[in-house]
Amino acid sequence: MTDSILDFAAQLDVAPAAPVAAERELHLVVFRLDREEYGVPIDVVREVVRVTDITRVPHAPAHIRGVMNLRGRILPVVEIRSRLGLAPAEVTPASRVVVVEVAGRLLGLLVDAVGQVARVGERQVAAPPDEVRTAGADAVTGVARMGQRLLVLLDLSRALSAFSPSTVPVS
Amino acid sequence: MSQAEHPFAALLAEYVAECLPLAEDVAERVVALERGWRDGTDTGDLARPLKGTLHTIKGNSAMMGLVGLQTLAHRLEDLWGALLGDQPGRDAGVGLLVRGAGLLADLVRATATAPPADDVAAAFIEEVDAYLAAEAGAREPAREERRSPDRRATDRRQTRAVGEIGADGAVTTIRVESQRLDALLETFGEVMIAQAGLRDAIRQRGRRSGGDPAQLERAMLGLDRTLKRLEQDLMETRLLPISTVFTRFTRLVRDLAHGEGKEVRLEVAGGETRLDKTVIDRLGEPLVHLLTNAVIHGIETPDERTARGKPAEATITLRAVQRSDRVILTVTDDGRGLDPDAILRKARALGHAPAHESPSRAEIFALAFLPGLSTRDTVSHLSGRGVGLDVVASSIRALSGNVAVGSEPGRGTTFSLRLPLTVAVLRALLVEVGTERYAVPLADVAETVRVAPGMLHQVVRQGMMTWRGEVIPVLDGGRLLGGTASGARACCVVLRSAGERHRGLLVDALLGHQEVVVKALDPALGRPPAVAAATILGDGRVACILDSGRVADGWIEPVATLAS
Repeated sequence: MTDSILDFAAQLDVAPAAPVAAERELHLVVFRLDREEYGVPIDVVREVVRVTDITRVPHAPAHIRGVMNLRGRILPVVEIRSRLGLAPAEVTPASRVVVVEVAGRLLGLLVDAVGQVARVGERQVAAPPDEVRTAGADAVTGVARMGQRLLVLLDLSRALSAFSPSTVPVS
Repeated sequence: MSQAEHPFAALLAEYVAECLPLAEDVAERVVALERGWRDGTDTGDLARPLKGTLHTIKGNSAMMGLVGLQTLAHRLEDLWGALLGDQPGRDAGVGLLVRGAGLLADLVRATATAPPADDVAAAFIEEVDAYLAAEAGAREPAREERRSPDRRATDRRQTRAVGEIGADGAVTTIRVESQRLDALLETFGEVMIAQAGLRDAIRQRGRRSGGDPAQLERAMLGLDRTLKRLEQDLMETRLLPISTVFTRFTRLVRDLAHGEGKEVRLEVAGGETRLDKTVIDRLGEPLVHLLTNAVIHGIETPDERTARGKPAEATITLRAVQRSDRVILTVTDDGRGLDPDAILRKARALGHAPAHESPSRAEIFALAFLPGLSTRDTVSHLSGRGVGLDVVASSIRALSGNVAVGSEPGRGTTFSLRLPLTVAVLRALLVEVGTERYAVPLADVAETVRVAPGMLHQVVRQGMMTWRGEVIPVLDGGRLLGGTASGARACCVVLRSAGERHRGLLVDALLGHQEVVVKALDPALGRPPAVAAATILGDGRVACILDSGRVADGWIEPVATLAS
């Protein structure tokens, strides 16, 4: 049922490591939105689950897709796509909810697919290019190059800060 | 917050759990003693345990290094000793004792969040020392307990602080008798057995194609039944006697009455009635408002009362009684009562005209709970430190309860609060709107009606229907809840508000009623106006619980009129 975080821990061993002397590494959970790959620090991710029924909450703030049942707990599911300026997408069999803990609260991020856990050396991270001018640019902390691939790093506390009740985002 | 950082946080919690009831008991006893001594009745039973209780508080405080509390308890013991003889000037000392006992209870309660400083009660202790010195010395008649105007001002401030503590003096620890825990464990064992039975039935079904379907059903029913009992037992552990909130009111009423120059006796009945911890925690604030209103505005001055042939001392009665799965709380005063004409005038001025021309008195009093109605300029009784009755009503409604008021002008006023035993589980009506399901708390449902052609009318873009001879506004569920799918809207749920105002809600289908477990919504969801909470239904999907009381009150803007 659930893709436990343990699966990722297992993958850690096979993921290409790039040990450079004394360089700090970032461990990132990688997920996909449209064609882009995004990474969030593994220590904020509690688990990754398949999408079950998401119940819409009437008059909830924009960017909230609804709530779902996470083992008896009511989990708010954030439409992270629209937070980052992308159009909402259909839920497909590959879709997942990444359960993150931000400021002591659990939130689910609805994403198109989840990839492996990546290790990225700090030196491979560059500041976001000027071209990144999406609605969610403030939440992008940098861009990491992994071979041919480009990974957009997200600061979740910034991306989700809008969900404190006092500052309900106005779309 | 600071509690979490305190190295003895857990110990402190235990200290408060043990000492707060003791301190509140002391505070209550000394108020009763003051009355008894004044009236010359026998107070032996009240007085005897006092010294021991104070001693225990002193010892416990010393153990926790709470020097301020230790000193205070110690001085109160001294003061108590000095008051035992019936000497002149005792009244002043008794006044001090009552204040000190109140201070002690407040400080113990405050310790739960922040341990008080060592010299926290220094000013008060100085007063006690001065009193004791004067007593021991010339034995001259001590200062009379007359309050100068500026003293009265400080007293007012103190009583207000009492109210605030009443508002958030949440109970953080529950003591559960070990037999109750044993029963819980036993029921849990039965659940495990029922689950094993179910697993067995499923396995057999897999083995022999089909198996006995009746066996599976029986096992399932068995599990259902035991789970229900487990829920019941678990709920029992959360029930606390309502006296946990009542105890602090004796002093509140006494202090308020003193400040107002009135004579008021608070009578409490049914303190052993038990309610869910959550309900108890959130009951303090509305009760403080009601009692404050009663003392300040409901009750006349002693002169006024005597002139009307009433006893100079007024009585406020706080009574709790259990009726099946509800607890009825009443706050009754024998003061001047409500003025129905004034309420009606103000309601009309605010545009809340009653549906028909000659409303009954009950209908008029129900209007008092509307926002903006209970203000000083209309009904003096209903004003009170900027808090209107609408606030009381909404906090009671937040507990899935409701509140009503009855009054006999010149004779007094009674507020009755109907509260559920628990807020963790709710009986709800499940309805379908479009493709979505919602739970409507059954307490708010007056009736469900099948929509017949020609029943609904559109009056100035507002849906209306006649229900039991009353014309009530009707909302379209789809529009209210912002769903996209449209449906047949074949049923109408008539909702009732605290003020007995009704409003229809059109839905597509009724799915029956059931008990649902209430789960709070994450703050990330903001405060959606029409949704109070959520629940998980039998199929594992989440359904929102409608804030039907608010919908019925019309607090939600009529964005949701009938489909044209």
